[in-house]
Amino acid sequence: MTAVQENTLVTDSPVDLAEQAAPQSESAAAAARAMIVFDGVEKVYDPDVVALETASFVIEKGEFVFLVGPSGSGKSTLIRLLLKEIEPTSGRIFVGGRDLGRLRRSKVPQLRRNIGCVFQDFKLLPNRNAGENVAYALKVQGEGRNAIRRKVPEVLGLVGLTHKTDSYPDELSGGEQQRVSIARAFVNHPPLLVCDEPTGNLDPDTSVGIMQLLYRINRSGTTVLMATHDREMVDKMRRRVIALEDGRIARDERRGGYTTE
Amino acid sequence: MLSEAVRSISANLSTTVAATMTVLIGMFLLGLVIAFATYARSWSDDVKSGLVVKVFHDRDATPKQVDAVRVVLERDSLVNQNRIEFVSAKEGLERMQKDRPDLFSAKLPYNPLGPAWTVYPKRAEDVEQIANRLGAKTERYPAGVHNVTYGKEKARRILKVANIINAIFGIAVLVLVSAAAILIANTIRLSIFARRREIEVMKLVGATNWFVRGPFMLEGLLCGLTGSVLAVILLFVSKEVALPSILPRLASDPGVGALGFWLIALILMGVGLVLGAAGSGLTLRRFLRV
Ligand SMILES: Nc1ncnc2c1ncn2[C@@H]1O[C@H](COP(=O)(O)OP(=O)(O)OP(=O)(O)O)[C@@H](O)[C@H]1O
Ligand SMILES: [Mg+2]
Repeated sequence: MTAVQENTLVTDSPVDLAEQAAPQSESAAAAARAMIVFDGVEKVYDPDVVALETASFVIEKGEFVFLVGPSGSGKSTLIRLLLKEIEPTSGRIFVGGRDLGRLRRSKVPQLRRNIGCVFQDFKLLPNRNAGENVAYALKVQGEGRNAIRRKVPEVLGLVGLTHKTDSYPDELSGGEQQRVSIARAFVNHPPLLVCDEPTGNLDPDTSVGIMQLLYRINRSGTTVLMATHDREMVDKMRRRVIALEDGRIARDERRGGYTTE
Repeated sequence: MLSEAVRSISANLSTTVAATMTVLIGMFLLGLVIAFATYARSWSDDVKSGLVVKVFHDRDATPKQVDAVRVVLERDSLVNQNRIEFVSAKEGLERMQKDRPDLFSAKLPYNPLGPAWTVYPKRAEDVEQIANRLGAKTERYPAGVHNVTYGKEKARRILKVANIINAIFGIAVLVLVSAAAILIANTIRLSIFARRREIEVMKLVGATNWFVRGPFMLEGLLCGLTGSVLAVILLFVSKEVALPSILPRLASDPGVGALGFWLIALILMGVGLVLGAAGSGLTLRRFLRV
């Protein structure tokens, strides 16, 4: 079930912007190679809120990409499209070479098991402790008890929360809860990790800790896409930045900052 | 999956208890109504079976005239052919003396009665028509017949009451079943609504619909089962303790009785189980579209 683990160490795969400018003409082979392909994607919410306007970009395997933009510019919409929580109004989306438009509803759980997701509000199950929350992501795909007993402590160790395994979400600080949710997102070693403002509710020091964690996860080969408002972090990391503005891609820079200087 | 259900029950004890109580009340009332409805039906059938047509001959009716009436009766398709009773003049007098001894304080010089027929209809509703075929309406009776009666007013009243009782209980069953269903669905919806964020999270980490639904349905099943078993126990207690003291005569009337208690119990548990599982399964569908 967890066959998607070709974690090659491609931290800084070069992205040719010229090539991205015309993704419509790109071959299917390129789409299959890339981690994420947005091909003229548009999302209009009922009745006529245009949240995303013909967005096209390619994210290669192993990249670390920041998604920035003012509030309401469409960042969360883009992430929900990736998880097939919502359907695009037009355009095509490929994740790991799979056309989401052609993915049957019954295959959506399969897709989500291969995308770890982290949110601003953590989204932990309130009546399960840290260990059980992480274990849930394994249980849903029918992982055996032994595998769960092995993998959960391992990943909780990775996020530095071994001593909090038995604590419930309301007994944990925000930063700790976020680390639990990252552990849950990463326990399957998914090829792709998407984060929607993972540091939005945390103080700067805690945010740095979370960022380091995500950085380490990325270095192990996982593609990371992270929507954020954290200007300092984006400017310091100097990674690829995709900037949205009113649903349009205003900027796509290989080593960008939060804003153009 | 059982452990997931137990976990979710204990984590949401108050809503689980509420749902169980709803099933309990609904099934208890349903049980009561079924019992009373079947009882009332059996009672009205019993009363109806007492409706007969009586044909009284003249005292001097000839055997030929009596025989002619017999032929008419035996040809009548509305008449229950196994229950045409001939009552001779002598028998009639004896029965009357037994029924109303006060009328016979003085010794009669002769038997004032003629022979008679007691005729049972196939359906109680047809007594009037049978009587009318023998001239009851126009009072122009066949030769040798003095009178034909079918308890006109009494028959009408009994039939009317029986129909009303059947209609009332039919409506009561319908209303109660739908009320119970709505109540249960509502309780389940509330409990699921309270947990819809949880369901959303489960789906986000890649749980299939069945993986999410399973524990909920099992929980609904357990609620339904517990509620209806409690209802059956409550009904049993009321039957054994309350009923004899309120209506002591009811139980003793032979030929009249409700549907068997254990049959009702079985129906209730089946309905409770289905309501519980189907209720939560169907309600969940709306929340699973994430
Ligand atoms: N379910 C919805 N129905 C209708 N409109 C929506 C819905 N979700 C989002 N929108 C609208 O779409 C636009 C983009 O919203 P989105 O949540 O993607 O912004 P965002 O970039 O994530 O903002 P933030 O930084 O505040 O989280 C906004 O104008 C928002 O009002
Ligand atoms: Mg957002």
